[in-house]
Amino acid sequence: MFREATFTDVSRERALDDPAAGLVMDEETFRAFYERTARGLWAYLARVTGDHQLADDLLQETFYRFLRAAATHDSEQHRRNSLYRIATNLARDARRRSLVWGPSSVAGDDIERIPSGHDAGNAERTADFTRAMSHLKPRERAILWLAYAEGASHREIADVLGVRATSLKPMLFRARRKLAGLLGRTMGARS
Amino acid sequence: MKQVDCEFEAEVLAAVLQSCWPAQVDACLRTHVAACAICSDVVAIAGAIDGAREEMKASAVVPDSGRVWWRAQMCARREAAAAAGRPITAAQMIAFACAVGLLGACFGATSTWFQLALRKISSSVAGLKLQTLLPSTTALIAQHGMLALAAAAVVLLVPAAVYLAMLKD
Repeated sequence: MFREATFTDVSRERALDDPAAGLVMDEETFRAFYERTARGLWAYLARVTGDHQLADDLLQETFYRFLRAAATHDSEQHRRNSLYRIATNLARDARRRSLVWGPSSVAGDDIERIPSGHDAGNAERTADFTRAMSHLKPRERAILWLAYAEGASHREIADVLGVRATSLKPMLFRARRKLAGLLGRTMGARS
Repeated sequence: MKQVDCEFEAEVLAAVLQSCWPAQVDACLRTHVAACAICSDVVAIAGAIDGAREEMKASAVVPDSGRVWWRAQMCARREAAAAAGRPITAAQMIAFACAVGLLGACFGATSTWFQLALRKISSSVAGLKLQTLLPSTTALIAQHGMLALAAAAVVLLVPAAVYLAMLKD
């Protein structure tokens, strides 16, 4: 992948790291890691949970648990996988706690958060996308987001979600099919 | 077996994310996408997801890293203190139970009126006959059956309700 801060584009980030960062996470290392990952992780949590407020809470909890685990990581990629795995588990627990977790309750909420300067077309596209995503299951949202927003490989996604790598391809295929269908319907209805 | 991936998927994804799709890509790839359900799905969703990602990342308001670090330190300290305090609390409880037991034993061994009362109770319990108790108990339950049922329901339901409420929190 060629985008910044993706799972697989780690060589540049590794160069920025402290040599001892893989063993001990001191404050400076944490700050650098947080700056690189926090926004992307928040976007992932907001997408998977469908709730911006919950994403705010889970973000802090994720980093806290990540620090508390004090695990050693052999690479930035490994560290990032651990972080997203914790976040995914927390989002899953939050969903179980809420007992009822129907379609996302924040369809259209993204529009409020779009920085000023975005045109109406962008806002509409975002609203369509949010509505379509809200019809997917949380796991499907997570798979698609990790694959296409974070640029994660199949093995990495399987690791984060705790599923077998062999099961992931059909899951990704189904989720992609579903979202493409939903987006197509939305766009079709609009046109 | 149904095909779930395509060898051109990565190439199509790259073209979409680099905003090269469809004008700046090879005609062969365009022909392939038109015929391939997987690649056409990738075209349909990749741009939308990438756009949403950029917008969400730009609008995300995350707390300062220092604040998160400080909060994590505080939580870790609180947890460490609680973990350290747990054995102390257990030891205090055991010591308290031992002291109460010892006091009870001393009291029982030295108090004559307590020993007398104990003997009286044990003799009266030994004198009780089940055949005489049973009819009166049955009559009592028949008279206050609803009350007994309500009390039993409360005893059973209240802990369950408290457990569920705590689970929700």
